[in-house]
Parts: sequence; structure tokens; C-alpha cells
Amino acid sequence: MPRTVVIVDDHARFRRSARKLLELEGFDVVGEAADGASALVEVQRLRPDLVLLDVQLPDASGLDLVPLLSPISEVLLVSSRDRDDVAGRVGRSGALGFIPKDQLTGEAVLTALESRR
Amino acid sequence: MKVLKIALAVVAVPLGVIAFRLLHGDLHQTEIRSLPAVVIGWTAIATGLLAWWQRPVNRMGMLMTLFGFAVLIRPWQYSDRPWVFAVGFLLGGLSFALLGHVALAYPTGRVVDRLELMLVRVGYATVLSFPLAILLVTPEGARLKYAPLAPESPILLSANADLAKTLEKAYVIVFFGFLTACFVVLLLRKFVKATPRSRRILLPLLLAVGVAALRAFYEFLSTFGSEVPAIADYVYWWQVAGQIALSFAIVWGLLYSRLAAAHVADLMRDLDRVPPEKLRDALARALDDPSLELAFWLPERNEYADAHGRRVALPTPGSRRAVTVLESDGEPLAALVHDPGLREDARLLDAAGAAARLALENARLQAELRAQLAQVQESRARIVAAGDGQRRRIERDIHDGAQQRLVALALELRAAQKRLGGELGPELDAVLADAVGELQLAVSELRELARGVHPAILTEEGLGAALESLADRTPIPVRIVTAPPGRLPSEIEGAAYFVACEALANAVKHAGATSVTISAARRNGTLVVEVADDGVGGASLNGGSGLRGLSDRVEAHGGRLRIESPPGGGTRVIGELPCAS
Repeated sequence: MPRTVVIVDDHARFRRSARKLLELEGFDVVGEAADGASALVEVQRLRPDLVLLDVQLPDASGLDLVPLLSPISEVLLVSSRDRDDVAGRVGRSGALGFIPKDQLTGEAVLTALESRR
Repeated sequence: MKVLKIALAVVAVPLGVIAFRLLHGDLHQTEIRSLPAVVIGWTAIATGLLAWWQRPVNRMGMLMTLFGFAVLIRPWQYSDRPWVFAVGFLLGGLSFALLGHVALAYPTGRVVDRLELMLVRVGYATVLSFPLAILLVTPEGARLKYAPLAPESPILLSANADLAKTLEKAYVIVFFGFLTACFVVLLLRKFVKATPRSRRILLPLLLAVGVAALRAFYEFLSTFGSEVPAIADYVYWWQVAGQIALSFAIVWGLLYSRLAAAHVADLMRDLDRVPPEKLRDALARALDDPSLELAFWLPERNEYADAHGRRVALPTPGSRRAVTVLESDGEPLAALVHDPGLREDARLLDAAGAAARLALENARLQAELRAQLAQVQESRARIVAAGDGQRRRIERDIHDGAQQRLVALALELRAAQKRLGGELGPELDAVLADAVGELQLAVSELRELARGVHPAILTEEGLGAALESLADRTPIPVRIVTAPPGRLPSEIEGAAYFVACEALANAVKHAGATSVTISAARRNGTLVVEVADDGVGGASLNGGSGLRGLSDRVEAHGGRLRIESPPGGGTRVIGELPCAS
């Protein structure tokens, strides 16, 4: 059974490419959100297995959203910034992990998910 | 004029003796009771001549001298020689009118106020017209209050003793009742309206009020009391003492401005030693106005500024402060904002202004320089802030533009690779994988570039997070000892971050350090960021390194950068940045 995913990122181009890639890799992308507020609404509504959450959103820091979203879904942070810039805070946030955007693959997501078990 | 004054002083001596003889010998007053007129007259003449000599332009001295002579001539009315009696009776009243005139004209010597001027004129008219009218009807033995020994008037028109006595009572009521009451009210008004500085000079007027009230009370008691009560004696002596004191007080008041002139002389002497920022204090002392403010005209900015170059708004007309603009070559030089009472001493203001002109020009130049310096500092801070803003925008553009496109392209290539998988054959698959790898490299290089332009983490997360990230990326161990909680103004965070960045780069590249500690903490409104390494030391601000530019950046925000770097003893770079908020 494919895992359900919601992609939260303010760049439409990234959401489109990530959706394409993850669907090809067997994930079911059930929704998208461009900012923190709509992310909360969509995740509540769709209750996906996984939220792919950008660290920097126009209205909020992804890091601050993690505690709100993680009771519902697993949260995986993504960013085009350097891992060093966020690594420490990702660890403290309660998120599953962090993947630099350019290194996003289905395999990387699965590895992060399995690391939790 | 000198001869005239000496002659007057000489004449005053026999006039005093005559007055005493008339009071003691003819009127049979006791010796002690005969003295006051002589003492008051001589005191007024002496102090009046002194004031006249010291302040020849001011009419106060002349008025006081005249008052003294009127006081000495008044006892002539007790003579039994008809013409002496007539002159004394006619002119004796002038002493009271002159005393009023002196008080109202004080301290300038001129009565300007319309009501006061009217009162002075009516006063003179009263003291001349009533005695004249009385003289026209006074027969021998009329036993007037003011002339108990009166012989027959030499200008008798129609003898009528009753009319003469009635006129005398009317005279007392008009002059010592109505006019004296007006006089007291006008003096008190003058005192109340005065500014604090003028009030000090006007103090003698309170004495004049007391003298007038006591004298009027005494005249009423002695004119209308059936028998003169004992209290009249006290009242009499108090007003005598008051009149004597008044002469001294008025001369003191007049010479007070002379003392102020001496202050101007002190000012001229001290100006060489007075630094421009103390010039205001020196002028305030010279003009005896502690409230004095000094503003310099800055022609380039078309506004007034204080000694520190800060803009000053002059009080508008109608406010409780007066403004005197000092000019140089027809151009405004400086403005004195002062107590309006100083206007009465226009010459003093002029003198102080003239004395201080050169010093004022120097102080103006300094104020101008300070204003320009402040402008330069402000513009330097603005330039740095604008540069930082520009860097933040470039970083944002790289992140949101090229970087996102390359990331998306990498993902799409990877998707294509996935979809076509086996169909492509190993050769094309390797080409696609290479392309994805190249794209990741490009993204990574762009990321480094953007971080160098301006670290996004600083904008988004603040100084503490940015320092942590910096520590993580440095190839030697870096310990963050303290970092300020919360956010600071972005320009301060930026400057502090670049201090840490540059110091770390120095430690790694030039000092050969093996470990570094960073601390950033707020102390008394200042953010102190300190980076200490264990390297070879010997760094300096003048070494042509990035430290010089860093110092400029810190100073642009009103801070300073210090380097402690003894050879072989490690390096401490300390940046202090004011951050009030």
C-alpha cells in the first residue's frame, strides 16, 4: 500500500517536481500547501502518513510547525539550505529527519522513515 | 558737567544746615526730629551724584539728586520770612512727586508705561497746584499743618484761612490717598510682571512701596487725627529709615548693571581659556542669566544648532523667552535665547556679544564640524545598512531563483531517470546520473555563494543560530560560550556575525589556531562579541587584513573594535556594538 504524503513548500516548481518524483517512487501525494497556515488545515484534513515540510515558509518556520504536525503525521524537513545550518535544530524539533532538497529521492525518504522504527 | 556736580555737592552742605536750623530753631522741633530731613536730603544727593557720575546717560542719578534738594528745601515752609516760606511751601511737595518719579523711572531713568507716565504728571501737577492755590488765600496766622508759622503769603489774592485749611486737607486726600494708592498698585504691577532676572534688580521698588504706604498713613494720622497717636511716631521713623535705605538700594541696583559690565570684562579676559563648549556658561555668567541658551547659525544647513551640532528650534515670538541674534558681517552668527529682562540691558547684551564674537565664531565652526561629523556618521551607518540590505536581497534572489530552479531540474531529471529506467540503456542512464550530480554540485556552490553574501540563517534565526552554524562549518573546534537570547536589530546582528566570521577566518588561515571560543553578550546596552584563539598572535588592525574593514563596519554602527594579539599569545578580537533596544 502506497504511503500518503502532503508536500508543504512555498515554491510551486519544487512541489510539482517532488510530487512527480515521489509518485514515480510509489508514494501517494494526497495534497500540497504553500504556507504554514494552509499546511495545518491540509494535514488535519488529509491526515497523511508523511509531511514533507520546508524549513522556511513565508508565514512560519517549519521548525516551529513540527510540534503541531507530528502528533498527526511523521514530519520530514527539507530545505535548499545547508544541512549544517539546520542540523542541530532539526534534532531538537522532534522531526523524523532532514533531507536537502536536491538530494530528495524516494529511497532517502524511506531510509528516514525506517530510521524511526 | 563735573563742575556742576561738584557745585551741587557743595551747595547741599549749607542747604542742609539751613534746613536743620529752620526745623530746630524756628519750628522748635527736637534735635533728633530735625535731623531726618537733612540726612535723607544729603543721602539722596550723595547717592544720586554717585549714580549720575557712574551712569551719566541714565537720568536716575539726576532725579535722585533733585529729590534730595527738594527734601532740603521743604523745611523753608517753616520760615517766617514771607518769600522763603512761599518758596519752601511751593516746592517742598516736589520731594514726594520726585520720590514717586524716581521709583517709577527705576532702573532705566525713563517712565515708559502710559499709566505710570500719567501718574507722574498728575503727581507733579498736584504738588505744585495745591500749594499755589493755598498760597493765594493764606493770611498771616492761618496755622496750616504744613506751615504752622506761616507769615502772610507774599502772593495773597484773597485771605481766607478756612479755605486754605480745606484745600490743605483736600491736598492730603488727593496726593497721599488717591495718588499714593495708584503708585503702590503700579509698582506692585511692575514687580509682578517682571522676569526673575529683572525682579532681582527691582527689589528696591518693594522698599518704595513700603515708604509710600507708611508716609501716606502718617500724613493721614497727622492731618485728620484729633490728637496724634503714639503709633504715628513709629510710622514716621520707619518711613525715614525706608527713605534712606531706598537711596542706597537704588544706587545698588544701578551699579548692579555696572557689576554686570565688570562680568563682561571678566568674560573678555577669560575667553582665551574658555573651550567652545563652555562658552555658553561663560556668557551666562557675564549676563547673569543662568537660563541662557546659545545657538549657532549653520548657513549650510540653514538652521540653528547647539555646540554639539544638534538642531535647535528658537522660541517663537510671544513665548516667555527672548532671542537676540548676534551678527557677523551682516550674517547671523549665533542666537542668544535669554530672560526677556535682559532686553532692558541692551548695552550689556551688545557688549557681551561683541566681546565673545571671535570665540563665538570658533564655537560656531566647531558646532558646524560636529554637525557635519554627525551627518557623516549617519550616512556611513546608512551606507552599511543599505549594503547589508542589498546583500540580503541578493541572497534571497539566489535562494528563490536559480537555486530553486536547479533543485527542481535535478528532481525532474531524477524522475525521468526513474521512469525511463531500463529503456535508456546503461550509457544514457550514466549521462543522466552525471547531470544530476552536476546539478547537485551547482546547487551546493550556489548555497556557499549565497551564504558568503549574507547568511540566511542570520536573517531567519538570529545571531545565536548563525554563530552555531558558523562553528559547525569551521574546520577547527569552536566553542560558543554565550550567545544573546532573542533577536537584536538586524544591522547589529550582521556586524556581530561578521566580526565572528572574520576573526574565525583569521584564526584558521593566519594564526594557525587549534581552538577558538566565541562569546556574544549584552552588557549595559552594548553587545560585546569576543572571539579568542590560541594561535600565534601578532594580528593588528593596521595589517591590511580584513580586520581593518571590520573595524570600519563596527564603527559605522557607533561601536569599536579592539584587537589584543601579543606575539605567541593568541588573539582576542573584541567588537563592542551599541544596541539600546
